[in-house]
Amino acid sequence: MFITINNRQIEVQTGETILQVCRRENIFIPTFCYHEAFGGQGACRMCMVEVKENGRNKNRLVAACTYPVTATIEVFTESDRVQQVRRTLVMLLKRRAAQDPYIEELAHKYEAPLLPKLKVDPQGCILCRLCILACEKMGKSAIWTVLRGIDKRIATPYDEETDECMGCKACAEICPTQAITFLEDGEKRSIWNKTFTLVSCERCGKPYATREQLEYMREQTGYETAQICEPCRKKTLASQVEKYQN
Amino acid sequence: MSKVLFVEPEKCTGCRTCELICSFTHVGEFNPLRSRVSVVSFEKTGFSFPAVCQQCSVAACMQVCPVGAITKDQLTGAMKVNDKTCLRCKMCTIACPFGATFYDGEHDAIIKCDLCDGDPECVKFCPSGAISYREAYTANRSKRKATAAKFQEVFEEGR
Repeated sequence: MFITINNRQIEVQTGETILQVCRRENIFIPTFCYHEAFGGQGACRMCMVEVKENGRNKNRLVAACTYPVTATIEVFTESDRVQQVRRTLVMLLKRRAAQDPYIEELAHKYEAPLLPKLKVDPQGCILCRLCILACEKMGKSAIWTVLRGIDKRIATPYDEETDECMGCKACAEICPTQAITFLEDGEKRSIWNKTFTLVSCERCGKPYATREQLEYMREQTGYETAQICEPCRKKTLASQVEKYQN
Repeated sequence: MSKVLFVEPEKCTGCRTCELICSFTHVGEFNPLRSRVSVVSFEKTGFSFPAVCQQCSVAACMQVCPVGAITKDQLTGAMKVNDKTCLRCKMCTIACPFGATFYDGEHDAIIKCDLCDGDPECVKFCPSGAISYREAYTANRSKRKATAAKFQEVFEEGR
């Protein structure tokens, strides 16, 4: 099947999303909440494109990440309407996460005006939900959105420390605006109001992972490993080989 | 048949040429910290061992990955990391029993040996032939031969 993107004929497979097709063809579509591991969520709305479907008079604005191609359509990724939507979105997002270089870049590209009067706590989080999905994939679901409307934010239940969290920092790693803060101080790691004591390497004494992380690993792989950090494992392997050789 | 990286530590001189060529082919700089293979040297005994990913058939890194970003390459049998789906949770670096999977902070990526898509550069550049790329069964056979030779020595001594 062929669809037209920006007046260019492109072959697609039924069920592929517009975003997948555009990423493959190197057509620029900005995204915040899209990650290949999870697929589209349609949360950030940054990937809005204009679609002309057969049998409709008016063009529709759709989120490219959740729109599967099932019929021959025409897509416009940089039309005036699309630019207007992106300008508004970037303008609002910039109030929440002004420090983010990618938002800054997009604000420059779409000439987004500043909103000095809007009172928003610039906490950095843009509610893209990637951290929630990452935590869910780890099999934990320690965090979720709490409250509604303008008070909506990401937190653990009742902002208390939760048994589910294992301190893996996958949420902080995936956050596109680096809004999730954690503190790593020698043998302690604090994240989501919970403080973990790190397990030290038996060989060099350097703290390298939380006990909960090691437990999770045992569950997944089903075997016990010595508590040795990653560089020391090479050394241990080498000394075992040396022993065997002699 | 799948080929394996076969390491003979008795031949390794500890020159670290493999580390340099590995980082150069993958990231374009001579930086042992970014090398997929690393040589562990014991200065006192003069023993060096090039530690490299074993491409385990039941790989801990693959089992522990929450999104299945580590998959087996059908052609070479190498465990490869898909950078696009990887969450950077770094569980694989903790799980690997050989410490062969690790995190590169500067490039924000998990790095591990990918067998250079079936043409390992470390093998080509190793001056002493301590790393070779061979069919798995011949790698075993040479070890069996060596063991047989040792047995022969012992038996001849006993005669």
